[in-house]
Amino acid sequence: MRAGGGIFAAALFTPITVLYLSFLLAPIGFFLVMSVFRYSPMELYIPAVTADNFMRLLGEEHYRNIIFRTLKIAALTAFFSLLLGYPLAYILARTRSIWRGVLMFLVIAPLMTGVIVRTYGWIVLLGSEGTVNVTLIWLGLIDRPIKILETEVAVLVALVHILMPYMVFPLFSSLASQDPDVERAAATLGAGRWRIFFEVTLPLSRAGILMGSALVFTLTAGAVVTPALLGGTKVQMLGQTIYDLVLSTLNWPFASAIAFVLVLCQFSIIFLYFKGGRRRVG
Amino acid sequence: MSGDDRTVPSAMHLKASSAAARYSMGFLVTAIYAFLLAPVLIIVFTSFNPTNANTFPPTGFSLRWYGTFLETSGFTDAFRFSLWLGAIAAVGATVIGFLSAYAIVRFLGRRREAGQSLALLPVMIPHILISISLLLALTIVPFPELGGLIVGHIIICLPFTIAGITASLEGVDEQLELAAMTLGASRLRTLWEVVIPLIAPGLLSALIFAFIVSFGDVYIALFLSGPGRTTLPIEIFSYMQWESTPVVAAITTVQILMIVALGLVVERLVGLRKIMRV
Repeated sequence: MRAGGGIFAAALFTPITVLYLSFLLAPIGFFLVMSVFRYSPMELYIPAVTADNFMRLLGEEHYRNIIFRTLKIAALTAFFSLLLGYPLAYILARTRSIWRGVLMFLVIAPLMTGVIVRTYGWIVLLGSEGTVNVTLIWLGLIDRPIKILETEVAVLVALVHILMPYMVFPLFSSLASQDPDVERAAATLGAGRWRIFFEVTLPLSRAGILMGSALVFTLTAGAVVTPALLGGTKVQMLGQTIYDLVLSTLNWPFASAIAFVLVLCQFSIIFLYFKGGRRRVG
Repeated sequence: MSGDDRTVPSAMHLKASSAAARYSMGFLVTAIYAFLLAPVLIIVFTSFNPTNANTFPPTGFSLRWYGTFLETSGFTDAFRFSLWLGAIAAVGATVIGFLSAYAIVRFLGRRREAGQSLALLPVMIPHILISISLLLALTIVPFPELGGLIVGHIIICLPFTIAGITASLEGVDEQLELAAMTLGASRLRTLWEVVIPLIAPGLLSALIFAFIVSFGDVYIALFLSGPGRTTLPIEIFSYMQWESTPVVAAITTVQILMIVALGLVVERLVGLRKIMRV
């Protein structure tokens, strides 16, 4: 298969290479380089090196608050996704039930419907006449609807819901690839259920935890639609700020500096991904 | 491959506590599934709501919002455009994905892991960044914006088509291809007459899943949509920034039913897990 395969293999790789280089890597590279360019209302940017964009981002309180809020919501989203995703991944990886395929499908199905659909679902649930308010009033816990939309809580709940599958998959992979004999050996040696979990299962799933957390963290940091619809103008995050800068103010260099912060998160994810060692089962 | 949970409890009280643990675990997992599925199910119920508000439980049963959907040209046009874009992106991502996956499986040897990771790059980059950068590229290179949207969708679909097709190719015995070539078939003819028929279910799954990814995308279209090329998620997004009526529930219910049906087909053909790489 190898003889004469060189040219054929090169031909097969050509479309994806051209696509990734010219429409993915080159544009992203150029966009990020723009973060050190000067802003000009007329020509989008002037290729003169300046640190102004980064100084403004870190110097103005408005933007510092947005960065802080984004990092906070991203960290909380990753934390709660882990908290809810771990038991789910654990059950999926350990169950021998015939429903396993169905259970897995039910995790993937909401993901396939797209971000907009699920965000809208939360608007219906959390609105002033929504299910949550109606239920709370019916239970007598509140007299009139409380404002849940346009708060950080609404954004957080929806982001956890939307991004949790990205946590479950790597966790599932690392839990399913564990050798069941290791847990059994620990039990034979007298360890209880909890001790087995905390001293064997949990440490062995470290790669999955890192991968899932890093992925959810980055995806939250880049979210635009969910914070915009559920948080309104009250819960401004980095993603929306980039969106506004590019489409309304046309300040590309400053948008690029903000994107740079996102890419820093991205580098840490790739770093963790390879350092944490990935294991997958088919 | 799943673990066997014979944890050898040595005393009776351990058995009792493990039953309790099992029940509380069952309750916890049920609650998590309720959390995962509630927002999607609630939409379906809301779409039959006769009143103007996004209320649940609904106050009656009516199809008026489906009527509104069909009468609003903005929504029907966007729906049609999304179907069209999804079909094109799916074909593009499946063809390019097949070529790449075949090359990765058959020609990369020990560098295969690295090749696969590179191919999955777009899934690791926030899509908003891909989208903005494409828009920027279009301001410099004379390339139609519709082309940018299509290319962007092909790029975000590729990781899934490659993952799915790679998994299918792993089940193909290389000896069959060698036999075909020994008998005088060219490499291209071998691909066409041996490999493609063998992995047809995998290719079809990749095609369908790419369509699903494209149809649900909002971030690529966020910067690359425009007059005449507005995707359904973007149309809904702009509508919801101003008002929010159950017409959105009616549209998204149609979308949910279509996506879940397609997802079930993929699940039947090769299994969604192969494409999601879990």
